[in-house]
Amino acid sequence: MAVSPSIPRPRRWDIPFCRESDSEREMTDEDVDRLMGQAPFSQIDPAGFKKTLPLRDILKNDARLVPFQEGDIVVRRGDWGNTAFFIISGSVRVEIEPPESAMPATMLGRTERPRQTMFQAIAQLWRNHHEPEFRSQAAQMDDRIGTRSAGESTRIFLQDVPAVLDQFRTATIDQGQWFGELAALGRTPRTATVFADGPCELLEIRWQGLRDIMRHDRDGDLRAYIEGVFRERALATFLRDEPLFQDLTAEQMRRLVQEVEFETYGNYDSPQPFRELAKLGAELNLSNEPFVARQSEYPNGIILIRSGLARLSEKHFNGHRTVGYLMPGQSYGFPEISQGWNCSSAVPLRYSLTAIGYLNVVIVPTIVVEQLLLETRAVRAPAAPAEAGLGHSQRSSSVAATTKKEVRIADHLLDFMVDHRFVQGTATMVIDLDRCTRCDDCVRACAATHDNNPRFIRHGPVHGQHMVANACLHCADPVCMIECPTGAIHRDQRDGLIVISEQTCIGCAQCANNCPYDAIRMVEIRDAKGQFIVDDKTSRPLMQATKCDLCQNLPGGPACQRACPHDALQRVDLTFFETVGDALQS
Amino acid sequence: MNKRARRRIQNGALFVLLATLAVVANQILNVLHYRTPFFSGWFLFGLIVVLALYNVRKKLALIPVGTSAGWLQFHLYAGIMTSVVFALHVGLRIPDGVFERTLAVFYVATFTSGVAGLFLSRTFPARITSRGEEILFERIPVFLKQLRDDVEKVVFTCVEQTETTAIPELYLSHLKPFFEKPRNVFWHLVHSGRPRQRLLLEIRGQQRFLSESERKAVDQVTDRVRTKDDLDYQYALQGTLKVWLFIHIPLTYGLLVMSIFHGLAVYAYGGSY
Repeated sequence: MAVSPSIPRPRRWDIPFCRESDSEREMTDEDVDRLMGQAPFSQIDPAGFKKTLPLRDILKNDARLVPFQEGDIVVRRGDWGNTAFFIISGSVRVEIEPPESAMPATMLGRTERPRQTMFQAIAQLWRNHHEPEFRSQAAQMDDRIGTRSAGESTRIFLQDVPAVLDQFRTATIDQGQWFGELAALGRTPRTATVFADGPCELLEIRWQGLRDIMRHDRDGDLRAYIEGVFRERALATFLRDEPLFQDLTAEQMRRLVQEVEFETYGNYDSPQPFRELAKLGAELNLSNEPFVARQSEYPNGIILIRSGLARLSEKHFNGHRTVGYLMPGQSYGFPEISQGWNCSSAVPLRYSLTAIGYLNVVIVPTIVVEQLLLETRAVRAPAAPAEAGLGHSQRSSSVAATTKKEVRIADHLLDFMVDHRFVQGTATMVIDLDRCTRCDDCVRACAATHDNNPRFIRHGPVHGQHMVANACLHCADPVCMIECPTGAIHRDQRDGLIVISEQTCIGCAQCANNCPYDAIRMVEIRDAKGQFIVDDKTSRPLMQATKCDLCQNLPGGPACQRACPHDALQRVDLTFFETVGDALQS
Repeated sequence: MNKRARRRIQNGALFVLLATLAVVANQILNVLHYRTPFFSGWFLFGLIVVLALYNVRKKLALIPVGTSAGWLQFHLYAGIMTSVVFALHVGLRIPDGVFERTLAVFYVATFTSGVAGLFLSRTFPARITSRGEEILFERIPVFLKQLRDDVEKVVFTCVEQTETTAIPELYLSHLKPFFEKPRNVFWHLVHSGRPRQRLLLEIRGQQRFLSESERKAVDQVTDRVRTKDDLDYQYALQGTLKVWLFIHIPLTYGLLVMSIFHGLAVYAYGGSY
């Protein structure tokens, strides 16, 4: 019998944060001593930490010290980061302009690609370069920014900081303060751009490290600080956008912000466990998913999805059957609470709610709902929870009465879509194989519009007659954006698509490794003569990440869909459960 | 009623209306003593030109000139319309002269290949989906080679272990030709499992002469025979879907060229209108 290969069990800190590819230096014991000697770490009681998880080790393995020069961009508005920053020395500037007058995308090292006119589209017929993946070697970066190498990574900096300060309003964040913690803990995009205001040293800490410090900090100063900031900034904004609470007075809103709870479920940072989960099948998946609320139990409050993805399921014989899913901006539990209030007896939840992969929720306790919404105002609830269905959508701004039966989608197809987390996709490429003649017109059209190289592969997981091709889904929760060192992969502010800036992609492949759908490909780039562009030091070909951009700049929409002669290929927004059945059946 | 059924009814109704109009117009012109072949000929030629433009549209993915699916719908109904106009043009009789007959044969061949393509593109995809793993056509030779190597490995291993030649003989006599390249294309196209059944019977017939370890090897080979047969099925159907266009498009261009010569000949020798 063959002997299985054995390796030491992988552990959390096998690769400390400071040894990741874009780190400049290692964390030494002296660095940790220095940190432990200054606030806020000096004020934390190390005795509160587990022996296996001491504060020193958290700092040594989950944090790193990063020096920045004047103008270096630390985080960009719209980036997705999973780290928070603490200013050890110096100061940084945070842009406080509203989005409409904020720094332009090109100034942050991103590409702005205006939609082509009809004539420009025609001109592309002869302007297209004959070589695949041709890149002009002359950098077309905004002249207000530059790049510099920092260790093995590349950093983007603002060339003329005084001019930036004249043009855009900023605020200073001084030594001893935190920033970036809300995006890190809530897995939401950074809301502002931060750049170094002169030389400074920052402590960058992974969200897991920050979470553990908050959890074991006995006095809870850091936890209180982070929670305070979270409630004041993120929660208030989030709750104000929720249609249910839009009519609350300022005083009521203040009370709401103080009394809501927030919870995180599941695995936050890596798509890898999710890939493994997807292979298990629906029932095993369900048994691995942490419960947020259970069927037949009474609701503790309204559950508002802040980020991540949740599955709604009901008991079916000896198992659970998926009946829907909830995305950020949707909620669960209000109809039951309201119905219970109206009939003066508690109404149990009709479905169970579980976290798929990762979920960040805000819970408005039942008592708060009753006092703020039901006692003081006549908020009409649906007649019965059964009619109320699965929740309500912020995007549709109405109490949506949607159940799986109404949506007309087969159990197994819904399970397939949810298990593989395809329902994250705002432009998922779904191919009806019963209509697809495998002519590859879609692939040719994609190549014709993208440097003679298609941005997807007509291949992927198949369920019945449906194939979800390996094309970018333009996820609602794009894990590919986490860890991009230059912010080259970003969500376009104009239309919300996930795009890659050729000017700032350094070919590190973090995004390609993070994408759970194999939708990002690393390609060797070429010059005008078709020669590979190589690294001047190693002579190895330079790579860049490429992916579907949904033909963002083309008039008429995605070329793949327009090129399909049999209407077999569709780009479907699966985040709208209400429409997914129709989209897949048509 | 779903979107496609509604579209089919709408387009079908429009086609019937236009075809009726064409027949009525032809009759009216006939009654008025116009030379109707002149009008029907130009109409037919115009339709064929527009139909041929669909291939150009396919190559212009960058330009927003309607979806390919929309063009195909027009292509299908306009293509059927040509049969009505063609019938009016030739007066439901076999044309005179070698050139005209050849031209008619080209039209009929083009039309028939188009109808065949429509049939294939509406029936084959579901058949492909229902059998075997979904595989890119270009990757099939790679998988075939892998399977062949795999089977040969099983056979060689069996010889080494058992030191008998039963399995190699079975492989050389029946399986080697099967694994060499895609087989039974015709049978797959007509959805017949006869060759697969025959081969499996052949293998099963040998099992009574084999030892336990040889039987295990044969079981492994049998699995691969099934996989290879599924691959052949994919190859046959996907290949046919790709090949039929190589018949339809050259015929179209031939038809266009001959139509131009036909028009020139009519204007040169047809007299006044």
